[in-house]
Order: sequence, then C-alpha cells, then structure tokens
Amino acid sequence: MTDLSIQEASEIAHNYRVIRDKRKRRAAITKHLFLAICSLIMVYPLIWMIVSSVKPDNEIFGNISLWPSEFIWQNYPDGWNGLFLSFTVFYKNSIIVTVLAVIGNTLSCSFAAYAFARLEFKGKNIFFALMMMTLMIPYHVVLIPQYLLFLKIGWVNTFLPLIVPRFLAGDAFFIFLMVQFFRQLPRDLDEAAMIDGCSPFKIYWAVIMPLSLPALATTAIFTFIWTWEDFLGPLIYLNDIRDYTVPLALRNFISQDSVSMFGQLFAMSILSIVPIFVFFIFFQKFIIRGIATSGLK
Amino acid sequence: MTKIDRRKFMKAAAATTGAVAAVSTMGTQAFAADSTIRHFWWGNPSRDKRTFGVIEVFNKKHADIEVIGETLSFPDYFAKLTTQVAGGNMPDVIQQGYGVLFEYVDNGALKPLDEFVGKSLDLSKIDKSALAAGTVNGKLYAVSIGANSHMALTNTRLFDEAGITFDPFGWTYDDVKSIGVEISKASPDGVFGTDDNTANYQNFSDFVGQKGVTMFNADTGDYQVSAELVEEYWSMWTAIREAGATPPGKASAGLIKPPMAEWGVVTGQTAISYAWSNQLVGAQGLVQDKLGTAMYPNTPAMTPGSIVQPSQFICLTRDTVDGVAATTYMSAFVNDTDMTAILGLERGIPANPDVRAALAPNLSEAEAASVAFFSGIQGKTATLPPPPPSGANEIEQTFERIATGILLGQDSIPEAAANFIRQAGFIRRRAG
Amino acid sequence: MKKFFAKNGPGYFFLIPWFIGFFCLALGPILYSLYLSFTKYNIFKPPKWIGLENYEFMFLYDDRFWKSLEVTFSYVFMSVPGKLIFALAVAMLLDKGMRAIGFYRALFYLPSILGGSIAVAILWKQLFEYNGVINSLLAKIGIEGPYWLNDPNYSLYTLVMLGMWQFGSPMLIFIAGLRAIPRELYEAAEIDAASKWKQFYAITVPLLAPVIFFNLVLQMIDAFKTFSSAFIISGGAGAPLDSLNFITVYLYNEAFAFYRMGYASSLAWILMLIIAVFTGVAFFSSRYWVHYENERD
Repeated sequence: MTDLSIQEASEIAHNYRVIRDKRKRRAAITKHLFLAICSLIMVYPLIWMIVSSVKPDNEIFGNISLWPSEFIWQNYPDGWNGLFLSFTVFYKNSIIVTVLAVIGNTLSCSFAAYAFARLEFKGKNIFFALMMMTLMIPYHVVLIPQYLLFLKIGWVNTFLPLIVPRFLAGDAFFIFLMVQFFRQLPRDLDEAAMIDGCSPFKIYWAVIMPLSLPALATTAIFTFIWTWEDFLGPLIYLNDIRDYTVPLALRNFISQDSVSMFGQLFAMSILSIVPIFVFFIFFQKFIIRGIATSGLK
Repeated sequence: MTKIDRRKFMKAAAATTGAVAAVSTMGTQAFAADSTIRHFWWGNPSRDKRTFGVIEVFNKKHADIEVIGETLSFPDYFAKLTTQVAGGNMPDVIQQGYGVLFEYVDNGALKPLDEFVGKSLDLSKIDKSALAAGTVNGKLYAVSIGANSHMALTNTRLFDEAGITFDPFGWTYDDVKSIGVEISKASPDGVFGTDDNTANYQNFSDFVGQKGVTMFNADTGDYQVSAELVEEYWSMWTAIREAGATPPGKASAGLIKPPMAEWGVVTGQTAISYAWSNQLVGAQGLVQDKLGTAMYPNTPAMTPGSIVQPSQFICLTRDTVDGVAATTYMSAFVNDTDMTAILGLERGIPANPDVRAALAPNLSEAEAASVAFFSGIQGKTATLPPPPPSGANEIEQTFERIATGILLGQDSIPEAAANFIRQAGFIRRRAG
Repeated sequence: MKKFFAKNGPGYFFLIPWFIGFFCLALGPILYSLYLSFTKYNIFKPPKWIGLENYEFMFLYDDRFWKSLEVTFSYVFMSVPGKLIFALAVAMLLDKGMRAIGFYRALFYLPSILGGSIAVAILWKQLFEYNGVINSLLAKIGIEGPYWLNDPNYSLYTLVMLGMWQFGSPMLIFIAGLRAIPRELYEAAEIDAASKWKQFYAITVPLLAPVIFFNLVLQMIDAFKTFSSAFIISGGAGAPLDSLNFITVYLYNEAFAFYRMGYASSLAWILMLIIAVFTGVAFFSSRYWVHYENERD
C-alpha cells in the first residue's frame, strides 16, 4: 500500500467511480427494462381489445393475426347506438350511481373507521368482528334474502339498493382500510386538539381527514371502479332498461343462440373504461401527494 | 309495486342522498293505460331491437294495455328470474326454454293458459305439434315462438377442398369418421374433420333416441338409459377420435358446451360443429367461409333421434296481475303479422303457417338455409318426449364432467359409464 | 348513565350510519341465509326445516364439496403470497422518484381495471390456448406448452396467474402506505450508510405493517371468495373435471342452476367459518408483528 503512487491511487479511485457509476446506470437500465417488459404484459390486453374493436366480427376468432384486414371504426358509433337505447342513457345512470356511491363510501366509511381507530367505547371489538363478518359471507347466498328485503321496502327497480347502503357504511373493506391508516397517525395530534377544546367531530374533520388523503383517495378510486364495473347489483335490482348501467348493457351484446356483436362489444368496452381511467389519473395524485404536501407533521 | 309507489320512493331517494335533480328525473313515465304488462326475455342486440319494435306496435294498437319490455343476456336472465321467483314478482310474460319448463310448471310458477284460449288467446292457427310441446300434464303452459332442431354445421370450403359429398339428411357415425379423416388429411396441420362429441349431451340424447330408448320414464321420471348404451356412445366417439377425425382429446376437453365463438367451425379448427338450427345465422356472422347444414349423424338403422322442439316459449307467470291483458299480448305476438314481420326468424321457425308464408320472400341467405333445412328433416325426426323432469340439467352437467375424463384419457369407458348412470340415478332421487 | 354516554357517546355517534346499515340492511339477510342453511329450499316453494341434513350430506357424502375445498385452498395458498409480494415489489419500485412514474402506475393498474369484463375472459382463453400466445413464446425457448385450460393439472395455475396479474389494488394500497412513511427516516438511514436491504426491514416493513396486514387479510378473504374469473373461464361449471370448481362456483350452481338454495347456504356458511378462522388467526398473529403509531406505549 505504501508504494502506491498518487497517480495509481487516483487511477484506482477513478476506476472505482466508473464501476460505481456503471453499476448505478446498469441498475437504472435494468429497472426500466423490467418495468417496460412488465408494462408490455400489462398493456397487451388493452391493445388486443382496441384492435379487436375495429376488426370485422368474422376475423376476431378464426384469425390469429393481430392486424385487421380493414378497420371498422364504425363499430364505435354503431355500438353506441347498438342496443335498444343509446349508451348516453347507460352512462348517465352509471355516473349517477357511481358518483353517489363514491361520496357515500368516503364519508360513511371514514366516519365508522374513526370510531374504530381513535375512540374507545363498549362493545368495540364485537362490532368490529361483526363488521368483518359482512366481508366474509359469499355474496351469492345473501342475494335472495337481500332482494326480499329491498322488495319489501319497495326499493326494487330503483337505484336505492345500489346507493343507500353506501351512505350507511355498508362496505367493510373501506372501513377496515381506513382504520389501518388512521391508527398510524400520531396520537399526540388528537391529544393536542383535545386540550385545545376540540370536539371529537372537529378532530375527525379538521385533523384526521386532511391527514388521510391517501386513504381517502384510495377509497374513492376503488369505490369508483368497483361500482362502475358492478353488474350483479344492477342486474338484480334494475328492471327497467332505461335504468340500466353500462356493464349491464355491455352484456347484452353477447348472444347465446344468435348473432353476437363482438366488434361493438369491444368498442363499447374500451369506452367504458375511459371514465375509470380519467378518475384514476386524477385521484391517484392525492395518494402520492398525500401527507407530503399537507405540511402537517 | 305500482308506479306511484316507485315515484314516491325515488323522491325519498332524492331526499336521502341529496341528489334531487339527478334522481327524480329517472323512471317517470306517462301512464294512461289500464293495465301494465311486463315482458321479459333473454336476447341479443338484434332480438332486443326487434322485440321493442313489436312492443311499440302493440302498444299503439291497444290503448288500454301498456307492455314494458325487459331484456338480459342468457346467463343473466335465469339468475334474475330465479330471484324474482323468490320475491314473487316475476314479470307477467316470460320467455322459457324446453329444458327448464317442467321445473317451473312442477313448482307452480306458471299459470295454465287453457282458460284464455279461444278468448284473449287465439291459437287456432298454431301448429298442433307446437301446442303439444307446451302442454304438461294435460294443461297448456307455454306458447312456442320458434321451432328448433339439432343441426350440424359444415365448413363448405373445407368439404369442397377435400372433395367430399354426402347426404346431409342420412349420414351415419361411420360417415363422420371417414369424412373426418379425409378432411383432416386434406387440410393444413391443426385443422381436423369434426368436433369431438364425447362430451356433447345433445348428440348423446339423439343417440339414445336412435337406439329406441326414451331418456326419462314418462310417469316416474326415472333415468332409463343403460350403462351399456353410454359405453357404446363413448366407445364410438373414441374410435372416431383415434382414427384422427377430431382434434386430440385434450384439445376437446376444454370445449364443453362452448360459447359460439369457440366452436370448431368458428375458430377454423374443424370442419363440422354440432349446434341448434337457430344458431346458424349467428355462427355464419362469425365465419368467413360459407356454412352448410346437416342433421346430426345416425346409426345405419336410421331410427329418428333428433326432435323438433320449440327453441323458445312465452309463458304466463303466477305473479301476473292481469292474465287477460297478458294473453292478449301473447296472442298478438304469435299471430299479428305486423308484429311477426318485425320479429322475423330471429327466435326460430314460427309455429304459425301464415306467419311463415308472410316471411318467406324476405329471408337472408342463412335464414333461407335454415328454412330449407327444416323442410329437409320432415319425417326424419322423432316425436317429442315430455319436458325433462327436475334434475335433468344436473344430469347433463354430470355427463359432461365425466366425459371430460374420457377425453383426457384418465378414466376407462366402462367405469365412467357405470359411474354416470349411478350419479344420474342419485340426482333423480335427490330431486324427487 | 350519564357517565356511560360521556365515555361511549362519541364512539356510538360516529357509528350511527354503520349501526343503521348493519342492523337494518345487512344483518337480516345474513341471519336468514343461516336459517336457510338448515332448510330444503328450492326457491319456488317456502323453505322446509331439515335440521343438520345439509351439513351431514356435505361432510359425509359430497365428494364434490371436498374437491371444491381442495381447489379453493390451493388457489388461496398459491395466489395470495405471490400477489402480495409482486404488488409490494412494484409499489416500492414505483414509489421512488422516477421519470414517467404516473404513466407506469396507471399501466400497472390497467389489468385490474379490465378485471371483470367479458373481454378479458375471452382474451385469457385465447392467450392460454394450445396454439395461443403463451405456448408459442414457450416454443421459442424449446418448451412444449401444455393444454393450460383443458388439463386439470394446469387449469388452476392459469387462474392463479390471472389473479396475480390483477395485482393493482393491493399495489395501490401499498403505494398509499409507503407514502405515509416519513421520508426523513430514509434520509437518516442513508446518512448512517444503512444498506437498502436494512432500510427495507428496519424501516419499511415495520412502518408498513398495518398496510401489509390489511392487504394480507383482504386478499385472503378475496381469494377464498374468488368467483367471477373462475366462473367465466370454467364455462360456469368448474370444468375441466372440477379442477376450477371453487366453493363459490359450486354454491352458485347449487343455488341458481339446480335450485338448492338451502344446500348452497350451508356451503356458504362453511366457507364463511373457514374465512373467519383464518382471519382470526391473522388478527391474533398481528399482535406480534403489527404495531400502530398510537399504541406504541
């Protein structure tokens, strides 16, 4: 070591830096490559759907080639008016149900979650267990009992069975989700606010909610997607075709015993995910920004 | 629930959710008619448009009756109907298939039509055979809105390329084998002669008839097929497969009651698929080559096995509020030529000869082919057995499941056949 | 009394919506389905009490029930760990400052958006066909692919892959959770020259534990209840050879295809008990590995 000249030493240091940079660059490239390959796998179905949406129907199945012989853009306007009513109606219904469900879920579930996560009261564990139970029961066996109930109170053939439960914290998934996030917030915040004379409601609204934007945004996004795509609820509760939602309408393109409209089905399927995508892009920012920019710490 | 109730509840909804403007505009409707009839069917884009067109015509002609149409795709239809059965709020008029008719009749979900016949319901022009098909235990429960039969679909291009001619109304399983082998040889790799019917219960039911056996005992509902017969059927198709006429067993194992998009003739994997006659038009729409038609194959004895059965019925449910208005609509649905002209052949061949005659000049190529097929099978079909009893669906699914084991080469045919007969017997006992 | 309300009042106040929803809308149908599980109910005619007969038949005579348990358990144990690990890895990758991050995030969420649509079922079948894309890729590296969907030895794997492919929801929740971890902790660790691996298990895992726990429980419940994809891909019957006959698929057919609502309800309650046991174990174990900010002391 002692024999090492300055020149040699600087050379070694230089080599080390080169290697380190190389390794870093290689890591970055690997990462991007990995992400790119994954993205391809993720995006393939969308490409496939888009291509299928402009193919003639008799090329979607027998024909392996991805490229259509001709582009049938007409599938889009035709599909929009391809069913008994135009998709304008179905979109309107879907938007009403979905937007109300998002509002209902974020409010009512955060309410319940606040109680479970931050307040003490008798029977808390039992209520929590009961809430979890509603998550565990397979939906298909409560379908008929639930239908009988809603029929009795006269809600069948209205949007009410799809909306009201959302305002009554009917989605245990989101209560539990928010409980987990609320429990992570420092206790000192509540205590400080309590000393300042804040009511529990004030603490919920002014302290907990602003700090929980990521959880709220996650709830909003999931509620939007799951409500938008839900078809079992609308299937059972909506009779009048003028009340049909988009997923319910989409299924009517496929026929068991006669002419299906696959091209139009794919075209409308593409359009049906546009609102989800827009909502996602907009609200995911809140997940990311979340606490970082709220300035409270 | 009446409409007024509904509006009241929509208002309640608006109050609850605070979305007054958005919700209160929904579902309101001018109501002048005395009677509201709900008609529910499973459909597709074309059928839905046609049926709503028919309803519009009917509502114009009958100021005192307002018909409301409700439609869903086939798998969703029965899930929803089941829920409505439980709730006691089935629509007045529903569409039914032959397979589950008995289940509904037996459980009292349908109302007999006899008291309306000759009054609000005119059936004087309907084919006798179609009426017989809708009669259970001496009472009429269902009006046929389209006849149907088993139909083999052939890819005419592949047949021509292999230079094959055959009698589409009198071919045998041996013909299937030899034709299948020839086509497999003449066609490019991966294209085979015929779909494999080992797990095709429709073909099996034909075969049972061709052997002179009635599947269910008319009185007791017992499953009367013997294990030997099942064994013979499976051995026969195994021989066809092993000769190279069909795709490998493993390939067919995934095609149990496949959706139309996966049929051999649609994907181009085979030259023959086995379907129902009212599916011809739909299948042709998905295929570039022209499709030909044939009966299902038979044994050399040529005992008829295929039946002509209603593809769809309209029925009156026990939950109807106004049977007279509902049957007035049903009557128009099968007789009124303004209405039937809109419906066309979409649900199958109509049971009213006048309606058939009126439609004849305006048929598409595929529709004309299915009409020609129907005249071809005259006198070559078996008499219609009574509607299958409870549990028939489950027996069918069990057959398909066990047959899959044979396609995969996992089970021996005699054991599988005995197993199937044992389970079929158990299913009937459990249902009874 | 007054004291009771002073102590418990706020908790109950925040639970009011949930109380109404649970006791008026949710509980009745759940209890009714429990009642139905002791009856013979063909939907057409009123239910008839038969005591434990359904359960007796299930445990003693019904081979398909045992097979469906095997399928369901295999699916849960294969798909849940894989999905969670994958979701966490991608979430961490996407958590870092990186170019085009929003774009990637949206892409990775895509499969989950397309999730329930008919189009995806058609696509998945085409991908895994014998002559499909997957097998032609395998052929390029000299492997002869199997009949994925037709062979009972492989069919479940394709479904596991489909499940894992739709890892968007847990990923998003992980991202939200990662965002809630204060950056300063990592900066401090960086100064202490702690390795990435050390940062992961000393900072990320403990602070993310509540979210990991949430995802674990919910993904498990979800996997036990898997229905749509299995139903569509197995042609509604759990084919081939019951290899996709999940307990939910089985009970759906019992209820809606074979009109045995009573038996279906008893199947559902057994499934629910199984889920409850697993969830209970998870909750019990969480005492040892999940620590919440507000319960540190």
